[in-house]
Amino acid sequence: MHLAARYVALALVLLGLVLSSGCSGGAHPSNKVIVSGSTTILPIAEQTAEAFMKANPDTQVLVSGLGSSAGIEAVSAGTADIGTSSRDLKPEEAKLGLVDTPIAYDGIAVIVSPDNPVTGLSTAQLRDIFTGKIKNWREVGGDDRAIDLVNRDEASGTREAFSKIVMGKTAHFAPSAAVLPGTGQVRDVVARAAGAIGYISAGFVEPRFTNVRVKALAVDGVAPTKKSIATNQYPIGRTLHFFTKGQPTGLTKRYIDYVLSSAVQKGVVVDAGFIPIAEGGTR
Amino acid sequence: MSDQSTSPARGTLQLVSRSTYVREWLLKSLFFACAFMFVLAVALIFVFVGFKAWPIVTDYGLGKFITGTVWSSGSNSFGILPLLVGSLLVTLGALGLGTPLAVGTAVFLSEVASPRMRAVVRPAVELLAGIPSVVYGFFGIILLRSIVSRFTGTLGFGAFTAWVVLAIMIVPTIAALSEDALRSIPEGIREASFAMGATEWQTIYKVVVPAAKIGIIDAIILGMGRAIGETMAVLMVVGNAPVFPKGIFAPLSTMTSQIVMDLPYAVGLHRTALFAMAAMLFIFSMLLVATVRLLSRLRD
Repeated sequence: MHLAARYVALALVLLGLVLSSGCSGGAHPSNKVIVSGSTTILPIAEQTAEAFMKANPDTQVLVSGLGSSAGIEAVSAGTADIGTSSRDLKPEEAKLGLVDTPIAYDGIAVIVSPDNPVTGLSTAQLRDIFTGKIKNWREVGGDDRAIDLVNRDEASGTREAFSKIVMGKTAHFAPSAAVLPGTGQVRDVVARAAGAIGYISAGFVEPRFTNVRVKALAVDGVAPTKKSIATNQYPIGRTLHFFTKGQPTGLTKRYIDYVLSSAVQKGVVVDAGFIPIAEGGTR
Repeated sequence: MSDQSTSPARGTLQLVSRSTYVREWLLKSLFFACAFMFVLAVALIFVFVGFKAWPIVTDYGLGKFITGTVWSSGSNSFGILPLLVGSLLVTLGALGLGTPLAVGTAVFLSEVASPRMRAVVRPAVELLAGIPSVVYGFFGIILLRSIVSRFTGTLGFGAFTAWVVLAIMIVPTIAALSEDALRSIPEGIREASFAMGATEWQTIYKVVVPAAKIGIIDAIILGMGRAIGETMAVLMVVGNAPVFPKGIFAPLSTMTSQIVMDLPYAVGLHRTALFAMAAMLFIFSMLLVATVRLLSRLRD
């Protein structure tokens, strides 16, 4: 269904492009905003687009999730009004004249059982644990107990982000790790197994619909708090961006302002497990 | 049709009216169509899966596919040996656990139980067969996995957990078919045994069970078919790590569960490899069915 939604969105975007280019030399009609890019941001973009269109009946916000790179490319080529991205601009993209509007922060927490005496790990230790080089908690200052890895499936965005930030380009996840298809399952399994370690979006560490607890580890000495994630001190975090070509104007600006409004930030953004931009302060 | 209906005189139905003859012919054709559709569906599925899987032979190499030990879409390596071993380990273990239980149940139902006892136990076994496999998986992941995890200090995913869940799932199949085999043994054989002074127990294990041997083996093979093809319940309790497991309490993966895990995002060669794995499963079940047919010929 998700995939189908993406295809429909893509088709709408293409249709929008054809229609708008037919109008007036490539400029979009002023009642339409095309949003393209990150799949991580897709839930926020879709929900806000729906609400925005309901509040402004004569407007259209077309959302598609094709990946952050595709979004950045689309907005710099002028085929989208907003390019959404869950990564920062690469050096070669910095010259494209894109204006960055951060819309939320996201952190990935490394979790263990509450019974595990270990309270923190370095990024290097994390990498060695998830490649399978470190096999016992004793090696990182814990009990003499085998480490049981809990990984996510390859379709997971959380896995991709964790892999990018912690594993880098050369390290690979140990294939003997258990692979679970959802954040909830990872949380549930890690909470009850003394030797387990896994990772989930930081918004899910605190129990919401259950009283089962997990412990989030400090990484490189920094605990994954809202503050530390928002200020980029916590290493496994990222900013979610809206990129526009030049300063946003007109309807595009109205839509971005709506996403940044406290109703959306405290509602949709928090519900999606992300951290509102206001809680970050200055970076 | 006109050809046959104009010359009914030669058929065996020449004594009935022409409309009855036509009706008979139509019904026969209908039943033939039903059966034929089934055969057609199987053939189409086989052709489709085979067609989609074929590039694994031309683009990847069948040897590398079957004997390769690394399954990783990230590095474009699709060796299914760990998954093959996983499937066999899970299936054989489940049979090992489930068979004694199932045959014991069948003997009890057929030889020992009073009619009133049968009336309670039999529906219970039949009910087990009707429970959707995802329910077994739920039971496995929520209850069984936590218990295994607590006693072993591991995650609780692995072959052992899958064995227990699958054993419960295949018991009804094996028990029902074994009971049929046991009940098909003529009463006279039991009476002859009792007449020789054998006790009830001696009659069961020296006479009745050996006589029903081939039927029971049939039942076990069909149970094996159920176990090797089971997906949802297995997926939920094995942990889905495509490696040779380091023990019966370590995560592993099977062919069926890996197909389900990978299908949502597999493209290109990866997708082909999944279809090739499906073709392997197809061939496995054909072999099992062939074995059953061979055995029943032996029995006759």
